[in-house]
Amino acid sequence: MRRCLRIGGAFFIMPALLLVLASPGRPAAMPEIKIGTVLPLTGAFGSAGLYFRQGYGMVVDDVNNAGGLQIGSQKYHVNLIVLDDGSNGTQSRSLVEKLVTDQHVNFLLGGYDTSLVEAQEVVPDQYKIPYVEGGGAASDIFKRGYKYIFGTLAVVYDMGSTTANFLTYQIAQGKLPKPLTEAVVYENTDHGKDYIDALTDAAKAHPDLFKIVLSQPFQLNGSDFSPLLQQVTAANVEAFLSDAHLPDFITMQRQYLQLGMYNPFISYGARGPDQAGRRALGAGADYLVAALWWTPALKDPGSQLFTARYQRQFNATPDWFQALAYDTARVLFAGIHNANSLDGTAVRDSLARLVFRGALLPGGVIRFSTNGQIAGSPYVIVQNTPGNTVRIVWPRNIPETRDVTLPVPRMP
Amino acid sequence: MFTAQNLISIAVAALLTAGLYAVMSYGLALIYGVMKVINLSNAGFVMLGAFMTFEYFERWHLDPMLGAVVNLPVFFLAGWLLYTLLVRRVMAALPIASLLLLFAVWLVLQNVALAIWGSEDHSIITAYTYTAVTVLGFRIPLTRLLVFGIALAALGVLHVLLGRTYLGKALRATVQDPQAAVLVGIDTERISALAFGVGTALAAFGGGLLTLLFSFTPDFGSAFQLKSFTIIVLGGLESFAGVMAGAAILSFAESYAVLFMRASLQNVLAYALLVVALVVLPGGVAQLWTRGRS
Repeated sequence: MRRCLRIGGAFFIMPALLLVLASPGRPAAMPEIKIGTVLPLTGAFGSAGLYFRQGYGMVVDDVNNAGGLQIGSQKYHVNLIVLDDGSNGTQSRSLVEKLVTDQHVNFLLGGYDTSLVEAQEVVPDQYKIPYVEGGGAASDIFKRGYKYIFGTLAVVYDMGSTTANFLTYQIAQGKLPKPLTEAVVYENTDHGKDYIDALTDAAKAHPDLFKIVLSQPFQLNGSDFSPLLQQVTAANVEAFLSDAHLPDFITMQRQYLQLGMYNPFISYGARGPDQAGRRALGAGADYLVAALWWTPALKDPGSQLFTARYQRQFNATPDWFQALAYDTARVLFAGIHNANSLDGTAVRDSLARLVFRGALLPGGVIRFSTNGQIAGSPYVIVQNTPGNTVRIVWPRNIPETRDVTLPVPRMP
Repeated sequence: MFTAQNLISIAVAALLTAGLYAVMSYGLALIYGVMKVINLSNAGFVMLGAFMTFEYFERWHLDPMLGAVVNLPVFFLAGWLLYTLLVRRVMAALPIASLLLLFAVWLVLQNVALAIWGSEDHSIITAYTYTAVTVLGFRIPLTRLLVFGIALAALGVLHVLLGRTYLGKALRATVQDPQAAVLVGIDTERISALAFGVGTALAAFGGGLLTLLFSFTPDFGSAFQLKSFTIIVLGGLESFAGVMAGAAILSFAESYAVLFMRASLQNVLAYALLVVALVVLPGGVAQLWTRGRS
């Protein structure tokens, strides 16, 4: 009987002891800052949600390993609380509120994607809690007058304009015909609307350069794009441009190739170099052109260090998701540190004034416009090359920029 | 803007998609027909069928088409056990009990898949993934053609089994009149377990075939669930031939609708068809055949 009790006791006590031993070194008297984030760890955006958690986690680990976040004379342990919204907007909003009311978080890091960030963005101003996000890129997020929302992603409208500038240069170089006929398909969200608006504005401004023959929205997280792609075939254009999230990009490009389609220029907005996409499509993703916020092909020391560290830690190559999450969390901590306070309004004001140097984003500096959106439009355009590699092909002023292969080669 | 060739291409694509839709929905109709149970876990077994096919491919380089076939006995057993251990116990309760039970099974399957494979997109790329064949001047993706052919063959085999074997006849008798089936000595409990096993096997078979066309995550299958419901309602819930007709109606409607409306409204069309079928034609297209005969 006594032996049974001993075994039973050990059974319950050992895990508790192990938990105490395994917990990160946080001195008992050390106060805590709670940072909350609601991410899509499951559902359609599950991959991206996981990447964001990794990026946020890297920064939190850095801060805690350095002894905590210094505010005044006190160091604070950072506790990152992550909840899963299952890629559902309604759930996303209510979970952010739960973080504030039940968990009493001090600050918020944003979710992913645009539609979920839009669902979350009503909460921070309501409770005067600063919210920094790197996963929502529609310009509408910043048009609603919120004061506590800050975004590190350049908006999608700028992605469309950057793509148009790149195409203008390629037409001038004789790599694409003039005028360039385009079929544009875009997801039926504010993200997609920004993209088509930018391309439509470019076509209106330069009717001699661009002619949009087909413009069609599609349902987010669609299962079959064959009918839509048949329309693209019928449009008989030189450029196929699509604004799609990762799952839709994979499905659409797979069906595009299966239908034997070919266009001399093809781009899926920011999709193409994503590791998940390249694994899912294999050689079918080669030569796609994408406008990105960050790429491991950037040769600046910060990007190279981040890439090497991520590869060591997660045994994988990072995409822009992880880099943006990393920058976003660092920006929030810089804002808190500069404010020297845990007061929401003081940190908000500090973020509004912040000039964050050493960012991974092209240009290395993050500062915010008065509406909370990142100032400037730091995009790079890359082209996938065989063997899971990419090369930067735009802007021209980056030393690592190379010539783009256009027209794209046909799939053998 | 659309040439005759484009329109025929759309028709060919719609026909191939219809075969796929049918194989996904047949199990759902079978289970509903025998037990009057709406199998909400169907999407979960489609997803699990896809992941198992992925595992066969990764571990033993088994072609997804063969993987889908391997799924048949494996998931037949799973379905049989699910019925025997769980579903049978709530059959006497209100229909909501089985509905909730199977919904819970779906959630459990999703979470198990999440724990094993994570939330990342998985896919299978074979030597013929991007191959297309030209038939009468029309370029057809080989994978779609294969999926259509296999789906049709599977349905043919099932048709023969249901029509020619004692078990098949007993199953159809149970669908038509469960009480009369008991009176003539049919073990309806065993037939129900059989139907659940076959239905689950077909869902996993469909999931295996879908890996040829799509990438997949633990969330995979939910998008097809709505389509399957629409198809079996259009088909008349208990009519196997109706399932084929329902699949064709939905597929052709979706494909040609983009000529007249925005592609973003594709899912709305499926919902609208579901509502129209429930209100105007509750017996589905099978009701029209019955009317035609009388």
